[in-house]
Amino acid sequence: MPDSAGARRPYLQPLSRSWWLKHSFFLRYMLREATVLPLLFFCGCLLAGLYSLAQGESQYQSWLAFMAQPWVIALNALLLLASFYHAKTFFELFPRVMPLLPAPLMIAGQWLGTIAVALLLLWLFGAIG
Amino acid sequence: MEKTIIIQRYNPEQDQAPSAERYQVPFDHSTSVLDALLYIQQQLDPTLAFRWSCRMAICGSCGVMVNKIPKLGCKTFLRDYPAELTISALDHFPIEKDLISDMAVFLDHLQAVKPYLINDSKNTEPHRQTPAQLKKYQKFSSCINCGLCYAACPQFGLNPEFLGPAAIVTAQRYNLDSRDQGKAQRMPQLNGKNGVWACTFVGFCADVCPKHLDPAAAVNQGKVASATDMLISIFKP
Repeated sequence: MPDSAGARRPYLQPLSRSWWLKHSFFLRYMLREATVLPLLFFCGCLLAGLYSLAQGESQYQSWLAFMAQPWVIALNALLLLASFYHAKTFFELFPRVMPLLPAPLMIAGQWLGTIAVALLLLWLFGAIG
Repeated sequence: MEKTIIIQRYNPEQDQAPSAERYQVPFDHSTSVLDALLYIQQQLDPTLAFRWSCRMAICGSCGVMVNKIPKLGCKTFLRDYPAELTISALDHFPIEKDLISDMAVFLDHLQAVKPYLINDSKNTEPHRQTPAQLKKYQKFSSCINCGLCYAACPQFGLNPEFLGPAAIVTAQRYNLDSRDQGKAQRMPQLNGKNGVWACTFVGFCADVCPKHLDPAAAVNQGKVASATDMLISIFKP
């Protein structure tokens, strides 16, 4: 017969490394956090581009050739999708942190802002207009 | 009509770890998970241990995991589940017996944020409050301390020192109350490494909250408050 102090023997529930596979909500959260990985690749590309520009024309041309490879384009396309997904989650969370206006208005406003900035950049770099 | 209920049983005097036990429970449109647990305890197995009190989602006692999602037993109905459902004790808390969790960690965190009105004024007049002032904190005031948000929070699971959703909601509730003067006493808790900044906005706490409080929003609004508090303390002479 255990004494009164020893009678309690709570079971400590271990948290497995695969906790995020338990249901779709955690999976979506990890997907949101994982969008940083393709972004890392893109930042590497961008830095390499700046560095090669400083190295001279031949270096810059070889960087352009690297960027035109199908697998690099595919990875950057994946990054674009990941960034849109991250933007969607971010825009939906923002009105909950700073409830300034009704949430649907704030979400629509953020998407409109994104489109406006994208159009401005495309215009600046001569892709449109 | 019957459904199979699989319950994770744990007897601290015999078991090394919880193990599953199956029960056949009759149900109709209005049978809640709590009703099913009471049926099992009264008709099939009197040794089943679980907590409950009000049966109307206000006492916050009957929190359990139903198919791995934190739920109040009294507010969850068998009709919404397939032929089998699994019930276990709330995640992230030590299990005392069967479905009974040891909530002491949560209660310690709640106590740490001083969840009451702090007001030193000697004024004996009633504290008047306008509807606009009430609206500021009212949405965070209906927490029933059921602990479902802690069972939903992987950050609390990884680090039990994290103050956690309900304690931070409650801190916000009093910080935003115009009658309260205790914000300066609560901010050190919220600013610390186990305060608001330990939250990564998983947001599952908001989904499971039976009172639709959105603890995740409160915690992240707490980050805004914490950053403001830090900036003010830097520039204050």
